[in-house]
Amino acid sequence: MQSIDWLAVAPPLMLALGAVLVLLVDAFAGPPRSRAAALVPSVLTLLSVLLAAVPTLMLLHDPRSTFCVTPGEGALLCSFETDPFTLAFWGVTLFGTAVVALLGTASVAEGRIPLAEWNFLLLCSATGALTIAASRDLITLVVALEVVSLPAFALAGLRRADPRAAEAAVKFFLVSVVSTAVMLMGVSLLYGATGSVFLDGIARAVALEATPRDVLVVGALLTVVGLAFKVAAVPFHMWVPDTYVGAPVAVAAYLSVVSKAAGFVGLMLVLGRGLAGIVDLWAPVIAVMAALTMTVGNVLAMRQDHAVRLLAWSSVAQAGYILVPFGAAATSSAAMAGAFGASLGYLAVYAFVNLGAFAVVTVVGTRHPRQRLEDYRGLVREEPGAGWPMAFALVALAGLPPGVVGLLAKVVVFDAASGVPWLVVVMAVNVAIGLVYYMRWMRELFRPASSPGASTYDVPGGVGVAIGMTFTAGLLFSVLPGLLLDPLLTVLR
Amino acid sequence: MNAVALNGLVGLPAAFVVFVVLAGRRRERLAVTVAVVGAVGTLLWSVWTVLISSRALDGSHVDLAWVAALDIRWHLGLDGISGPLVLMTTLVFVCVLGSLVRNAPDCGGTAALAALLLLIEAGVLGSFLALDMVLFFAFFEVALIPMWFVIHQWGDRHGPDAEARRRRAATRFLVFTVLGSALMLVGFVLVRSEAGTFDIVRIASTYDPSGPTALAAAVLVALGLAVKTPLWPLHIWLPDAHSTAPTVGSVVLAAVLLKLGTYGFIRFWMPVADPDWEVLVPFVAGLAVVGIVYAALACLAQTDLKQLIAYSSVGHMGFVVLALATFTVGGVQAAVFASVAHGLITGLLFFVAGSIKDRYGTGTIAELRGLYASVPRLAGVFAFAAMASLGLPGLAGFWGEMLAIRSALYPVPGLPQGTFVTLAVIAAFGVILTSAYFLALMRSMLQGPVTSATGPREPSPDVSAVEWLVWSPLLVLTVVLGVAPGLLLGPVAEAATAFLELS
Repeated sequence: MQSIDWLAVAPPLMLALGAVLVLLVDAFAGPPRSRAAALVPSVLTLLSVLLAAVPTLMLLHDPRSTFCVTPGEGALLCSFETDPFTLAFWGVTLFGTAVVALLGTASVAEGRIPLAEWNFLLLCSATGALTIAASRDLITLVVALEVVSLPAFALAGLRRADPRAAEAAVKFFLVSVVSTAVMLMGVSLLYGATGSVFLDGIARAVALEATPRDVLVVGALLTVVGLAFKVAAVPFHMWVPDTYVGAPVAVAAYLSVVSKAAGFVGLMLVLGRGLAGIVDLWAPVIAVMAALTMTVGNVLAMRQDHAVRLLAWSSVAQAGYILVPFGAAATSSAAMAGAFGASLGYLAVYAFVNLGAFAVVTVVGTRHPRQRLEDYRGLVREEPGAGWPMAFALVALAGLPPGVVGLLAKVVVFDAASGVPWLVVVMAVNVAIGLVYYMRWMRELFRPASSPGASTYDVPGGVGVAIGMTFTAGLLFSVLPGLLLDPLLTVLR
Repeated sequence: MNAVALNGLVGLPAAFVVFVVLAGRRRERLAVTVAVVGAVGTLLWSVWTVLISSRALDGSHVDLAWVAALDIRWHLGLDGISGPLVLMTTLVFVCVLGSLVRNAPDCGGTAALAALLLLIEAGVLGSFLALDMVLFFAFFEVALIPMWFVIHQWGDRHGPDAEARRRRAATRFLVFTVLGSALMLVGFVLVRSEAGTFDIVRIASTYDPSGPTALAAAVLVALGLAVKTPLWPLHIWLPDAHSTAPTVGSVVLAAVLLKLGTYGFIRFWMPVADPDWEVLVPFVAGLAVVGIVYAALACLAQTDLKQLIAYSSVGHMGFVVLALATFTVGGVQAAVFASVAHGLITGLLFFVAGSIKDRYGTGTIAELRGLYASVPRLAGVFAFAAMASLGLPGLAGFWGEMLAIRSALYPVPGLPQGTFVTLAVIAAFGVILTSAYFLALMRSMLQGPVTSATGPREPSPDVSAVEWLVWSPLLVLTVVLGVAPGLLLGPVAEAATAFLELS
């Protein structure tokens, strides 16, 4: 019987307990009698996120590992580790979950989404997202990834009366199931080839000459394909636009940030921790995938007129940028740590900038459910509290000042990938292409409204807080980028 | 002391952006006044900064960690190369904002326009002061979004499809420039992978570019700056942007924003390029000369006044790049001098062209006749600026072109002298073509009788008091620099010698 380090597992545990609590409160309290009562599940969600943040902070300078086994020879192998890398992802996930929970409160007014179920599913999914960042063996990793995905299917189909929601959920479900099956196949091959499910054990076996190379490569490839579905890398991205559009906006925000981050952490763990020994095999594959992902995402985003669909394609393109450093991981021994640090930094910046954009989209969606770009006309003049954050989010996504943090995130990626110049040049071209559609949206924001008052909203309180959180973070890190980027970039060094 | 001066030079216009926005809430006129005060304050501040700064880069600059993990530093400094450009910039912005006092745009939003212009000023000054490659890139980009707004919101409203044209010009400007600067950034990170730092002072003193990566880096940096400068054939965003932008926008674009490209070539390209490479530097010089001739020929065929001035800028920038591509002190002198002169003269030309367009309601050259007869003073100023632009001895434009051609005759030893002499000869031929189109323009536009079809819209007001006030610094300096070029050449020579010795 081994002991469990409860502090290390506390953050995911808090979220899981929170999920159960939300469900119980809903079951016993019955239907809410007032608007304030309807907000109880959201408040519970935020509380459990805060409670999860406390142990996360306590772990900050105190890396731990638990659920360990001692194999016959060699060092300890652990399933669950909380190193700075894990904590960085926990930070992103908790921030993202809090913002998404706040966005969910907008649906109280609509009354179309059962808030208790929504919060329960959100917390379940976030539990998986926390666990995957700490997982250090393939079984935990796959299970955690499924814990992220399974509630997300239900979340995507939460608008029951809407046929598009059903389409979104079914499409997402089918793609995810296929990707999981493919990934399991890959995992089993990796296990067969190396004799271990622990990432460190795999890394040791990879270093041996005797390990069958071809089985290993096929296993790695299939595992990567499975994870590529999660991060929506081209050519495994086809589910993204329809799912984002059909799902509630808050769920689209969740999928584009937290669920995507879970996919990236899986990729980093499998490739960086387990398969670092064959980096020169997988890096070129990912480089090509990154180039395709950003190009396809940007080119297709240019033609969109639907705000959420545009953000969906833009998030595909952004995933391509995050993949770029992976493609340059093979250039030197120090390159891998630098590359993953850069991906992590970009992901963190992308997370709060993109959540900011989705928060404003939620606000506009309360009056314009069709979400055409024209619906954003005059937003800056008539609703500055939503218009300016949106403008900031767009320039930061495009990577231009005053969104300095977005600009520096691109510098970080460029710098990490400088060993593969062709890839950086492709990215540079893509940055310019991306401008076309971000600025098209921007133009609408600053045009005078078609009729006065057409773009004034009563912003729901929770969404207002979400906008404030993301906007403040964006401004703060634009002035003092070192606060965010210094710790993230050095996480792996 | 120095740190306060340098940070303040960026911070002052940025702070005034906030004041202008706040004032604009109350009254537009008040906001413009505040903006003018800010611009004058920045001008005085820049004079003070230049006076207390040494002419060559020494240790007395601002150097703080900004993003420590990537070794990106908040590194600002001023020397004899950036000093003249800083002064020119702050002066031009005083003129530009001063012109808004009386000549508010028809579509309103003057306060916002003034705020955006000050933001551009902050970005441009930051670029001239930055000594860290990423910081330069970041400041470089600061000006883009405001400029996009200036073109898009306050651009040309004449003609049936004005909005579509504005949108196209603004977006094309933005996409081209960002593509260029993104490629430049790729070049910068490649330089860092070779040299190990983004600090241009350290790079200039220790980095010895060699090998394919260094070459690729230099090519990418050149490519990015060539879009901004612009060098032929990457100039295609420029004529549209200039002719569509409002007068203040055209002045800022031509006088100031193009200088980011030429300054970038001097400060950030020369240290990372090696004149011993057989192809790259002569190729850049060749493109510059092609641009000179191409621009002159294109000018002969232009029908729009502002487009013509825009194309003439391509030619002038060709002289600048030809000069600096010699990698000599004389070349850098000529490049800085020609940059400053072009800023003053082309700024003036765009001001006058804007005034003509306002009075006549058209910028089509064929519809403008007999300006000497109807608005003699305006026509006189235009003739003066055109003469200065074509390089009349005694005015500022002459020295820039003359020194550029002269420096091309004596490039640094590593460069093929025969090629450069040929290029110098072709460039001299370009000077003649330049004279040809400006003289033809003056003949058709200024001279001749006034007919009813070609008269101004209203009883034509000649140059107003405010216009005199705004234009006079440019007029005076054009003459002063033409008569006493040593005022500028001396400090530049000192700084250029120091900077080139580093590498």
